[in-house]
Amino acid sequence: MNQTDVIGGQKFLEMFAAATDWLEKSAPEVDALNVFPVPDGDTGTNMLLTMKSTIDHGFQNANKDVSSVSHSMATGALMGARGNSGVILSQFWAGLAQGLADKETMDGKDFAAALERSSVVAYKGVSNPVEGTILTVLKDAAQEALKTAANGKGDLLSVLESTVSAASESVANTPKLLPALREAGVVDSGGQGLYTILDGALRYLRGESELMQFRKPQIIASSISSTPVTVTADAKAGHEDEVPFGYCTEFLLKGSGLDPEKMKKYLLKKGQSLIVVGDENTVRVHIHTLDPGEVISYATSMGTIHSVSARNMDEQHQDYLAKQKTQSTPTKVSIVSVAAGDGLAEVFSSLGVSAIVAGGQTMNPSTKDILMGVERAPSDNVIILPNNKNIVLAAQQVQALTEKKICVVPTVNVPQGVAALLAFDYEAELETNCEIMTETINAVSSIEVTRSVRSCKIGNLDIKKKQAIGLLNGVIISALDSAKDVLFEVLEKTIEDKTEIITVYYGQDTEEDEAEACGNEIREKYPQLQVEVVYGGQPHYFYIVSVE
Amino acid sequence: MTVKIVTDTLSDIPDDLANELGITLIPLTVSFGHESFLDRIEISSEDFYERMVREDVIPTTTQPSPFSFTNVYNELANESDEILVITLSSKLSGTYQSALNAKSTVSDTCRIEVLDSQKIIMSFGLAVIAAAKMANAGAGIDEIIAATKVRLDNTQLVAYFDSLKYLVKGGRVGKAQGFVGSLLSVKPILTIRDGEMGPLTRVRSKAAGLDYLYNAVATTDNIESVGVEYCTTPEDAEYLIERISDIVPREDIYKSIVCPVVGTYSGPGGVAVSIMSKPS
Repeated sequence: MNQTDVIGGQKFLEMFAAATDWLEKSAPEVDALNVFPVPDGDTGTNMLLTMKSTIDHGFQNANKDVSSVSHSMATGALMGARGNSGVILSQFWAGLAQGLADKETMDGKDFAAALERSSVVAYKGVSNPVEGTILTVLKDAAQEALKTAANGKGDLLSVLESTVSAASESVANTPKLLPALREAGVVDSGGQGLYTILDGALRYLRGESELMQFRKPQIIASSISSTPVTVTADAKAGHEDEVPFGYCTEFLLKGSGLDPEKMKKYLLKKGQSLIVVGDENTVRVHIHTLDPGEVISYATSMGTIHSVSARNMDEQHQDYLAKQKTQSTPTKVSIVSVAAGDGLAEVFSSLGVSAIVAGGQTMNPSTKDILMGVERAPSDNVIILPNNKNIVLAAQQVQALTEKKICVVPTVNVPQGVAALLAFDYEAELETNCEIMTETINAVSSIEVTRSVRSCKIGNLDIKKKQAIGLLNGVIISALDSAKDVLFEVLEKTIEDKTEIITVYYGQDTEEDEAEACGNEIREKYPQLQVEVVYGGQPHYFYIVSVE
Repeated sequence: MTVKIVTDTLSDIPDDLANELGITLIPLTVSFGHESFLDRIEISSEDFYERMVREDVIPTTTQPSPFSFTNVYNELANESDEILVITLSSKLSGTYQSALNAKSTVSDTCRIEVLDSQKIIMSFGLAVIAAAKMANAGAGIDEIIAATKVRLDNTQLVAYFDSLKYLVKGGRVGKAQGFVGSLLSVKPILTIRDGEMGPLTRVRSKAAGLDYLYNAVATTDNIESVGVEYCTTPEDAEYLIERISDIVPREDIYKSIVCPVVGTYSGPGGVAVSIMSKPS
């Protein structure tokens, strides 16, 4: 049998020893990702130290079978676990060892089943499991492993390959699940660490040991961009940062007849991020508490405590912030954009806007609102996109109120704002960018479909109250009973031979199905065009359409 | 004695031109799953892209081993006592490290210099071509190194990608991270800065992308040569070359196909121009 199909205990150990070296190469980068639950920047280091202890214990076992070796490794993991992610990692090992009990060798099916067990054990160890963390990555990886094994591909290499690829996707997805990650624009550090370990194991199995010396593990890119701060008129000043983090308290408790579940119940009241794992002889405790003394004296009443540590997390957090400051190069130029509607805010932020000022047609933000966005932008040079002709003036007043250098690109509608934003040149200075962006805004036509608030006569159009009306670049040119008919009438007058792309942003009062159907009809009628339908969520306007 | 010029296949110097100028090309390796091929030797660029699209897999790449450099060094040491190696950016591949490591295994009667170009594809290929021309004209190694460094600093890369998918999956997204996650379908225009891929801007269509590439050439002064490359769409390269020919003499425009290794990050449909100004 091929040696990548099924492996024995020693190869199992070597595989994860190589994975530990692999993790070591990117531990500092993993540290830098750490923002949850406490941004103290030590996840990579903690996981590495946990793995080292795991491997050391494994090497003390001379047995050849996977069951016995993995059991030693799990003991090593528990003894050496450090930090939140380290303790969860020790549960990963506990689960693997349980899943591999009685196995002499391990094939893909065994690994998949053990991984599934790991996932269950790890969730159980944490008092309040949070999705978007190492737990989610472990769960997703285990599910994919089971799927592959069930599909008849039972060799270890195939299973491990699908495990790693699922882990990678799951890591990229973590910011979608956990707001703290989304705000920081990073993926989960513990998940990244677990991915790196699995990836290292896979590479070893593929025979890439030599190559691994020259390479570095990949830090997974987030599948979404970071959410910028949204400034609204009632935005509250001040941050939650004021709440102290307390002490990260960890120790190993040895004794007899210990009851981890009972301890967990008691300790739950004493702090955050509680993890209590182990058996009746050895229990590993991890807790973020304001009073480590109380926790430790509680434990000493039940047995002897070992490797005690209580680290001041506020101090760690300060160090971390200082390090972040020196590491992050501030962007030369930031962009602040006005947008109405959650969908449009997301579109603008996904394209790199660093602050959104809520507002639009009937709720013009004040100069002060825009100023707040400018002050929050992470650079001294700021471009403002007003995206409405009634807001341009307010935006131009901001310069007088701030020491930052401001440039207003006078966009009067959403399509112009998007066009300007896309043309942003990452290498250019403020003035050049302002020129480039201003040049592009006339290359795009804007269609707005809304409802008339009163009856009136414009040109030769007799408009009834509440009738759907269509504006092309701010001028009313169509009035009909249905919003869709208006849209098509205006499109007819707008589309030229050189038109390439139509983007439809549908408003909060338009159903998704309706908008999609509308998009399909445009595609049918104009098959040469690229048509995109995106949720804008804007009030008042059924559709805002960009034609370029 | 003529200085020997060595580079890797990521320079995208076409085989004919490399033969003509006496440039030795060392291949990287690309792999689809467990199948590995020497870049441009065991798999042609055309076959590579065809397979990448058909199988919808993300291939992986591997730098050449120090051993493959040792062989070339030993061979060339019989013909010359000076070898200049110019590799792609050390931030994107361990090729530079392999080239350096191999130095120690060759007798020290032959002087070997290894230069980290901090660039990829023709954005260092053009400088390698110029270096080979200098060597053939009898220039010494120090003179060539000095001129090559200036040329590398004077070269800009402007690359249109049809998708960011491959760059993200390949883990090479680097500073182009800001482009990921856009809710509109946009095409990234990238460059290489300080040895890593970085964002330049975004466009919404290939036509706009090709215009951007043309404008980058049109707004550069004092051009020595231009490289125009495509992945799967030779017609895009032809179209650009025709437009550029109005401002740059045709013989100073090199056309090539983006090598498979870089293709693993760009994916199909990419087009790139490298613009090198004269060292003044």
